[in-house]
Amino acid sequence: MTDQVQIKTKRENSLEEDNPAFFWIKSEGQQKLATENLVPGNQVYKEKLIVKKGIEYRLWDPFRSKLAAAIMNELENFPFENKTKVLYLGASTGTTVSHISDIVGPSGIVFAVEHASRVARDFLDRVAAYRKNIMPILQDARRPKEYFSVFGKVDVVYVDIAQPDQTEIAIDNCEMFLKKGGYFFLVIKTRSIDVTKSPKKIIEEETQKLQPKFEVLQSIDLHPYDKDHAIVIAKSRG
Amino acid sequence: MYSVILTELGISVFDDEKLEKSFPFSNPVKEYLLVKNKESKLNELINYLASIQRGVSVSDDALLAILKKNNIDSQIMEDSELERIQASKPQIIVDSGFASNPQDALGKLREFALGLSSSKVTEVSESPDLHIIQAINSLDEIDKIANALSSRLREWYGLHFPELDNVIDSINGYAQIVMAGKRESLTKQVFEDAGFPESKVEMLSLISTKSRGGDISDVNLAIVQSIAKQILDFHDLRKKLEEHVESEMQTIAPNLSAILGTAVGARILGRAGSLKRLASLPASTIQVLGAEKALFRSLKTGSQPPKHGLLFQHAMVHAAPRWQRGKIARAIAAKAVIAARVDVYGDGLNKTLLEKLNVRVDEIGKKYENPTEKDIRRPESFRRDGGNFRDNSRRRDDRGGRRDDRGGRRDDRGGRRDDRGGRRDDRGGRRDDRGGRRDDRGGRRDDRGGRRDDRGGRRDDRGGRRDDRGGRRDDRGGRRDDRPSSNKNKKRKQFGRR
Ligand SMILES: C[S@@+](CC[C@H](N)C(=O)[O-])C[C@H]1O[C@@H](n2cnc3c(N)ncnc32)[C@H](O)[C@@H]1O
Repeated sequence: MTDQVQIKTKRENSLEEDNPAFFWIKSEGQQKLATENLVPGNQVYKEKLIVKKGIEYRLWDPFRSKLAAAIMNELENFPFENKTKVLYLGASTGTTVSHISDIVGPSGIVFAVEHASRVARDFLDRVAAYRKNIMPILQDARRPKEYFSVFGKVDVVYVDIAQPDQTEIAIDNCEMFLKKGGYFFLVIKTRSIDVTKSPKKIIEEETQKLQPKFEVLQSIDLHPYDKDHAIVIAKSRG
Repeated sequence: MYSVILTELGISVFDDEKLEKSFPFSNPVKEYLLVKNKESKLNELINYLASIQRGVSVSDDALLAILKKNNIDSQIMEDSELERIQASKPQIIVDSGFASNPQDALGKLREFALGLSSSKVTEVSESPDLHIIQAINSLDEIDKIANALSSRLREWYGLHFPELDNVIDSINGYAQIVMAGKRESLTKQVFEDAGFPESKVEMLSLISTKSRGGDISDVNLAIVQSIAKQILDFHDLRKKLEEHVESEMQTIAPNLSAILGTAVGARILGRAGSLKRLASLPASTIQVLGAEKALFRSLKTGSQPPKHGLLFQHAMVHAAPRWQRGKIARAIAAKAVIAARVDVYGDGLNKTLLEKLNVRVDEIGKKYENPTEKDIRRPESFRRDGGNFRDNSRRRDDRGGRRDDRGGRRDDRGGRRDDRGGRRDDRGGRRDDRGGRRDDRGGRRDDRGGRRDDRGGRRDDRGGRRDDRGGRRDDRGGRRDDRPSSNKNKKRKQFGRR
């Protein structure tokens, strides 16, 4: 199996030639998304591990990770690279966090906030314990002032907390921790905000709230990987 | 001015950029939390600060409070200063001597973060409400398994002694008889030991001699008996769980238990996730916990909102006439939130809550003694349109008539509700007796199921019409919604089954 795998490192947008963030790997006859495993041998969500030329890659499942789905759906700006500092709200069991951890590498850092202790348990056991670039923060994203162990400003704030007031929470966090000109990813669960409104309307309204402080770059419907989610990508006005 | 800075790894005193003194934590997670909870003594730090005799600015509210309590002249830092500390934390840690270089500082910070998170996870895992939730969910699952297994047992042993199925209602009683072995060995003693009344013992021994069942091999019988044994074990386990939930609920949520009863209380608790979260929910949410599907559909399509979810299981709700149930559920939900809050933040049992609820429910009973015209009309729309949520409760109401009668009785027992756990067992027999009736109804219900399918077909034929009758679709939804309660009926049916 491993022998037939071809790895093509696809150049994406702003990434530097020698430092690809993610890879396209041929597996089972299809080009699939993957990241280089920061902790060889370690699986996070039973994703497939593929070794090529002595390097181990983890397939990145767009049905499981919304960031991967966004890449599949023509994400234009991908600010995660080697050494990037990220504040991630809503780490859950760490599926997406683990891939970001792969990408930012040993010199990057992911501050991963999650408040539900049931999922945090899995996140700690399966992900944070093995990855030295992850700072697990078991706290409520509504109270960024109380985050222990978060320091400095970050390059990207990624928010996926599925709360009705998540946009407000996200903006508060950006104000405290996002550097000027930094990127902001907001996952919008189109039904969690208000079940009675149409998804399109919800995305529009949430985008409106960002306008004063952010330049909205793109909003991506995650269909068909995810039924009712979209990601909005914005850049803080410097 | 000196600044006193709390970091994850210790406390440092700086004069401008220059470190004056540092107090490293030997166990950072523990000591940091002690400071944050204002439980630290910090003797060394305080002696030092007292000796230098000047005002200090402090980076943390909790630390400030501790210092003030010890008469240290102190104030909180300016925002800009706090921000600077937040930005350069690894460097401050190095400068304080808590780490040898920035890389080391990062490693130690991460260790701290892991340790802190783990201790929180551990702490939460120990909280009793999570254990109650596991217990009540186990109980519900055991019911499901025991019901399924019991049907199998009746089928299998029924090849040997088919008549028994119609005579013995209780799962437990049936299993006990199976344990005694083949038909021939079913003496009167066996039936007596299984706790059946004399009249039934007579009948049982009569039919066992006239059975039309076939013989059963020893090997087969042995397996059937192990199934029966499992069922009896489940029965014991169920009892244990029930008692456990009951006593735990009384301990950690006495007020909630007084309002909801321990079993319904525990199920509501399970839906909310934890007692704390339950205490923070709006009453309107508690009212419909367990009917989420109906709620969301109603928000989306404008169909009738559900009047109760799990609260339907509450004696006061299902004993009441249909048109009062929504109001009663609302009153109960309102008191339940307060009760949960008292359980979390107050202490002890507050009796006035239950008293007030009883008054309110009586009030509702009097004020809405008779159904309004609207309440009466609804059933017709049900017939025409295929029923929506409320119509469903009407259907329930058909039966409800009877149930209401009983409801009265049950209401009287309201006060006694607390020891229901045991009581329910006592009543087991009675429930079983009624089982037959219920089963008949069950049959009817199945018929209806068939009809429902027919209707489905019809509805398809009428596809064109379906659009302008959006309502209709909702209605169906409503019906679907009823499932929690009809499930419950089904469960009861099976429990009481034959
Ligand atoms: C949809 S999941 C995130 C999935 C994850 N981002 C991934 O792609 O693998 C949302 C998570 O946010 C968490 N969450 C919700 N509200 C939060 C809050 N106020 N603070 C921190 N975490 C929160 C939930 O517990 C849940 O685990």
